[in-house]
Amino acid sequence: MTRTTQITILVVLFALLALFYQGLWGDPRHIPPVLVDTPAPVFKGPDVESGELLSSERYKGKVIVVNFWASWCQECKVEHENLLRLYDEFKDHPEFVMLGINYQDEIPKARAYLQRYGSSFPHMQDVKGALAIDFGVYGVPETFVIDKQGIIRHKWIGPIVDNVYANLTQNVLTPLLQRADTQVRPYDPTT
Amino acid sequence: MFRLFPILIVLCFVSPIAGMAKVVDESEIDQQVREVAKMLRCTVCQTENIWESNAPLAHQMREAIRERVMQGQSAEEIQAYFHSRYGNYIMMEPPKQGINWLIWLAPFLLLFGGGALLWREVKGWVTKTPAPQPLPTLDQTSRRRIERELHENQ
Repeated sequence: MTRTTQITILVVLFALLALFYQGLWGDPRHIPPVLVDTPAPVFKGPDVESGELLSSERYKGKVIVVNFWASWCQECKVEHENLLRLYDEFKDHPEFVMLGINYQDEIPKARAYLQRYGSSFPHMQDVKGALAIDFGVYGVPETFVIDKQGIIRHKWIGPIVDNVYANLTQNVLTPLLQRADTQVRPYDPTT
Repeated sequence: MFRLFPILIVLCFVSPIAGMAKVVDESEIDQQVREVAKMLRCTVCQTENIWESNAPLAHQMREAIRERVMQGQSAEEIQAYFHSRYGNYIMMEPPKQGINWLIWLAPFLLLFGGGALLWREVKGWVTKTPAPQPLPTLDQTSRRRIERELHENQ
């Protein structure tokens, strides 16, 4: 076996080992979010509490925090207090909107959940989970931040707690709200 | 009443056919849903497709596929929609593009490379093995001795 062949075999083996290493020691829960930096899906649906029709059209030109939750979801209960705190922190900003999406739930149970844990921002029904698929949701809770141009800028899978809360408020929401470009860029959200 | 009789006769034959046509359509839709659902991975399961999974998300996805099939979308369009929402991860077979070609071609490349290496090594062993030496020829004295001994033993 020549030296060139030996070196080639070693290089191939090391490349395979590097691939295995990446596969075995990476975070199996980390799935690259494909929707970040793409236009947010349009949505329309009844409010969980009032039944009033809510739609994405109403929130154009605003920074929207969209949180998918359900009354049967334990981790949603963990983050709920932080969601109320988040809304309180930014509610006075004229370009801030927060919206909960109640995912695959029974409306009476969802209403009871909101009565028990508190509700300060609107929540839309997604009983069949069709909107969740539009947003590429894997499970609840999941939180998205949509900028003033209607582009998804951030996605978080799991509860908004501790460092996640700090990162969301300081590194995502504050810069997006401070940005002066309030002009809504036209886009076709159906594509 | 007698004027209506022929119409009733016709209806008796047409109604079941209309019903059967609906059943055929439903089965076609089911088949299309199954075909698409088998191509898509259940994103909350371990290596299970949407068709075989019992997870609630898989159920929703099957419903979403069914709605799109009934809207007249093709299998490719529905797959493209799910791919746009969940990326390559949702495809049971990685799309043949970019780095994914490595997954598709690596087994064949390794097989070919291994085969070539094996062939080369075996060929080396064969060429390095010394050829058998020709046997020394018998001299006349030895030949006569052997023939004599053979003759004596008979």
